[in-house]
Amino acid sequence: MENYTSNHLKITLGEVKMTQETVVRDEINLTKEEKEVVYKTLNREPTIPEAAMLEVMNSEHCSYKSSRPVLPKLPTEGPRVICGPGEDAGVVDIGDGLALVFKLESHNHPSALDPFNGAATGIGGIIRDILCMGARPIGLLDSFRLGNLSDPHTKWLLKWVTKGVGDYGNCVGISNAGGDIEFDPSFQINCLINVGCFGVMRKDELALSRATTPGDKLILLGGSTGRDGIGGASFASKNITEDSESDRGAVQIGDPYMKKLIIEATLEAIKAGVVEGLKDLGAAGVTCSISETADAGGTGTEIQLEKIRIREDDMEHWEILVSESQERMFFVVKPDNVKKISKIFDKYELPYEILGEVTDTGKCVVKYRDQTIVDLPAHLLTKPPAANRKATYPKYLNKLNQKWLPKEPKENELDDICRKIMASDNMISREWVYRQYDTEVGLHSVVKSGQADAGVFRLSEFGTKKGIAVTFDGNSNQCYLDPYNGGAGIMMEACSNVAAVGAEPIAMTDCLNFGNPEHPQVFWTFEKVVEGLADAAKALGVPCVGGNVSFYNHDEVRDVAVKPSPVIFVAGLLDDVEKAVNNSFKSPEEFIILIGDTNTEIGGSEYTKVIHSSDDGQVPKVDFANAKNVLKKVVKAVREGLVTASHDISKGGLFVALTEMSMAGNLGFKVGLKRIPADTQRSDIKLFSETHGRFLMTAKKEDMDKLIAIFAEDEIPASYIGIVTQEKKLIIDNDENETIIDLPLDEIKQVWETRMVEEMEGKS
Amino acid sequence: MPMRVIVVQFSGSTCDRDLVYAMKDVMGWEVDLIWYKNAQKHLESYDAIFLPGGFTYGDHLRAGIIAAYTPVMDKVKELAKEGFPVFGICNGFQILVESGLLPGALIGNDTLRFSCKWTNLRVETTRSAATNVAKKGDIWKVPIAHGEGRYFLDEKGLKELNENDQVVWRYVSDDGKITAKGNPNGSIESIAGICNLEGNVVGLMPHPERASESILSPWGSDHGKLYFQSLENYFRRG
Amino acid sequence: MAKFNAEVIIEGKKNARDPEGETIMRDLMIKHGYDMVSSVRSGKILKVTLEAKNEKEAEDICWNMVNELRIYNPVAHICTIKIVK
Repeated sequence: MENYTSNHLKITLGEVKMTQETVVRDEINLTKEEKEVVYKTLNREPTIPEAAMLEVMNSEHCSYKSSRPVLPKLPTEGPRVICGPGEDAGVVDIGDGLALVFKLESHNHPSALDPFNGAATGIGGIIRDILCMGARPIGLLDSFRLGNLSDPHTKWLLKWVTKGVGDYGNCVGISNAGGDIEFDPSFQINCLINVGCFGVMRKDELALSRATTPGDKLILLGGSTGRDGIGGASFASKNITEDSESDRGAVQIGDPYMKKLIIEATLEAIKAGVVEGLKDLGAAGVTCSISETADAGGTGTEIQLEKIRIREDDMEHWEILVSESQERMFFVVKPDNVKKISKIFDKYELPYEILGEVTDTGKCVVKYRDQTIVDLPAHLLTKPPAANRKATYPKYLNKLNQKWLPKEPKENELDDICRKIMASDNMISREWVYRQYDTEVGLHSVVKSGQADAGVFRLSEFGTKKGIAVTFDGNSNQCYLDPYNGGAGIMMEACSNVAAVGAEPIAMTDCLNFGNPEHPQVFWTFEKVVEGLADAAKALGVPCVGGNVSFYNHDEVRDVAVKPSPVIFVAGLLDDVEKAVNNSFKSPEEFIILIGDTNTEIGGSEYTKVIHSSDDGQVPKVDFANAKNVLKKVVKAVREGLVTASHDISKGGLFVALTEMSMAGNLGFKVGLKRIPADTQRSDIKLFSETHGRFLMTAKKEDMDKLIAIFAEDEIPASYIGIVTQEKKLIIDNDENETIIDLPLDEIKQVWETRMVEEMEGKS
Repeated sequence: MPMRVIVVQFSGSTCDRDLVYAMKDVMGWEVDLIWYKNAQKHLESYDAIFLPGGFTYGDHLRAGIIAAYTPVMDKVKELAKEGFPVFGICNGFQILVESGLLPGALIGNDTLRFSCKWTNLRVETTRSAATNVAKKGDIWKVPIAHGEGRYFLDEKGLKELNENDQVVWRYVSDDGKITAKGNPNGSIESIAGICNLEGNVVGLMPHPERASESILSPWGSDHGKLYFQSLENYFRRG
Repeated sequence: MAKFNAEVIIEGKKNARDPEGETIMRDLMIKHGYDMVSSVRSGKILKVTLEAKNEKEAEDICWNMVNELRIYNPVAHICTIKIVK
């Protein structure tokens, strides 16, 4: 944070009076427009603590000023939506009196500097968002975007973010349900670390982050307040340079043990009915809690700053107010319930203090030993003006040739092409990562990482047969090459993931990771990606119930912005979790069916990138008219028990999807390209195009007719393309029934399974 | 009459509710989950005591050490010495070892990483309270999830352990043999779980409560039930 | 050239929380009668034996090593190096 010029000598703690410690207009770090709003509303100069609070709440990270004008494009309503964007997490009705609570967030900048603590506190933060709605968090997901895997810096980051996510999640005892990893040079310096969490609760136990009744007490529970993350919010909005490493003290340290106790204490307090409002302290710490709860409740808050337990004696008022020290929760409690809740906190030996109370003034007042040091209208903090960013069509898009196709490879080159793709960064097994996560705790996980396109959790502890399917998805390369279609594609892909296991996609939340929004070309791609996401979401009938935006992921020194990276978290619902199907081949002689048409869409595909090193080609487009129906049919087929394995076709195309099913089931396949409905005769396109809305399903002979009928009813192509074989070979025949691909399963699997292990354990 | 057992919930236990679920909903037992500060006086009234998995006290200093010093463990030690059935799973095993109720130490995995995977447990003896309905040589599919699960004991101690038939399970490969590949954490002699001399105190690193329902197992197996059924049998036999 | 023993001590920065130290102090030491203890900071120690011309060179080598190989992360840790007898 900048040094403030004050009108008088620097005032030390204990001598604060409102009139003495103010900030000269020129020095406050706000835009011209933001300053106007502040000065017009206050009609005076802000004090130093007020200035700090205003700066933090006006930062990109807290205010969403750049994205707020764009985000309303996303559909947010639906019959299941209980809480949409604006709350700490999205909440959707899943029937049986239950609600699913879920959210995803970024922790990019801290993780780039201190990957262990950055990733760990990212997990800590997202858990709090679910907890503060009143739900017990039961599942975690993580998404990493890093540079090329062979780069030592990438390996260093991957090692420590994995450990950060693992150590924190394992210690709090929350199961890891899935995630995704994308390697691309644009993430070399600005890695993207997104984390998600979900929980299920009884609808009637939903807690909201509002302070609605004047007189209610405000209690701060948990860790002490230090200098962690000071400037964290506006720090997060700054670009990373090599000098950032000297931003010491900016990274927060998590304490998952304390978090575990906080989870138990909070849930116990909610069950005891002693919680009126609940908020976690994340970005902007105390400032955010006292302002957002007041604003949401139409009330005011007043706290005594000296009550806050601080970790360092020489902390200034403003530091205490904007600190992002971890493991802190904010409770709004009726005066009569204070004793009861204290008993619960004491049981877990958690420290807490009563900071103050809810008022009816609409203002956030902070006193220090009876001197008022902050007196701001809540809305001034929570509703800063939006920024109006310019958007300009990016020049690089003009250089791309969507009609380009590579020279058709010779048939005897195809084996090697397949080998190369299966061994590439974005195709190889991620087992090295997820083996470090506890995926079993909670007894919910019935389809686990590596087994299918989405993780599936049963909900038997809630007395229902239902299940939840969860998935994360992103494809920065396609979003870079064609922001609109890339954005739409991710939404389709994520929904396809949950449909593949037999779950109806019911809601999504997103994390939008982009470069500097003040660069018009970046902002243009942001708008286009959101448009694509929105159109796909509308077409699929899947509302967005919350989201997170992370801007300024840009390396100023090398002038490299990250590729546009929306990460989508889609949740699906299964009526009967026992009907969930994974993606491994089950028995020889079972039939393989391909759902959907294959189009010449290799733009941004693994094939185009890995084999031809090209940015050209048509990025796959979503068929908005039919998307929803295709997914509906897929879900129906799975639910009727007609399918023994199911897999959506995505990165790498048909060949990769077949091989993944093969490796999972340890069985081979024999497939004929002749049977694949496509707009081309080219084998390479049929094998590697990444057209959306396609699935592979296996079925027993006796179920084939019924299965095909489900799709035929709506003229959705359902083509028998081959069979599962006992012989462990991957065999593909061309249109003339000549074998053009003949690969040993064990060899492909060996490389696919071990490459990441070798890179990370240093054996390469 | 169904079994009546107590699960002691420590500060930082995370697998306590899972254990309660497995015993209540799958086995049909009466199970009480009691906060460690309140558990001491009730322990005796139950048929068996369970110490669940988790990260008590954040695993700080050493996994299980701080919990081993809690007052409730003084009572557990007393009862265990009198022959009371005491079962420790994962962090519970670490607590038993740090309490001196079982020999050895559980140190960091040789891979230096936390590891969650399904393992093969070979039953080495059926005289323990947790394996008496099984057959020697049986293979159970049970998952592990730990960072400090490597069992260690000196040569002298190992000799005694083996001679006294105290090794209850070892990690093995799919073919039932003791191999480096089948050993997920470098435990000496591939030891996954042991019992005390009398056989009433049993500790293991893998989680039988996670392996008691076929829907949770990638193999559709439910060998974890055998662990609980053995306790029932042990108790009934007196 | 001679052999030197260096102790490389890696600790969290003073203003960073140390949950491990806090928990050991609060839940183990103080609860069991050692309430005269007021602070515990946890860390890691690497005992390094190396060859160098003299003590200063040994120390320099160690510093180069810990910085180049990121044996400690300057964002979150402090490092002290002592040559011991």
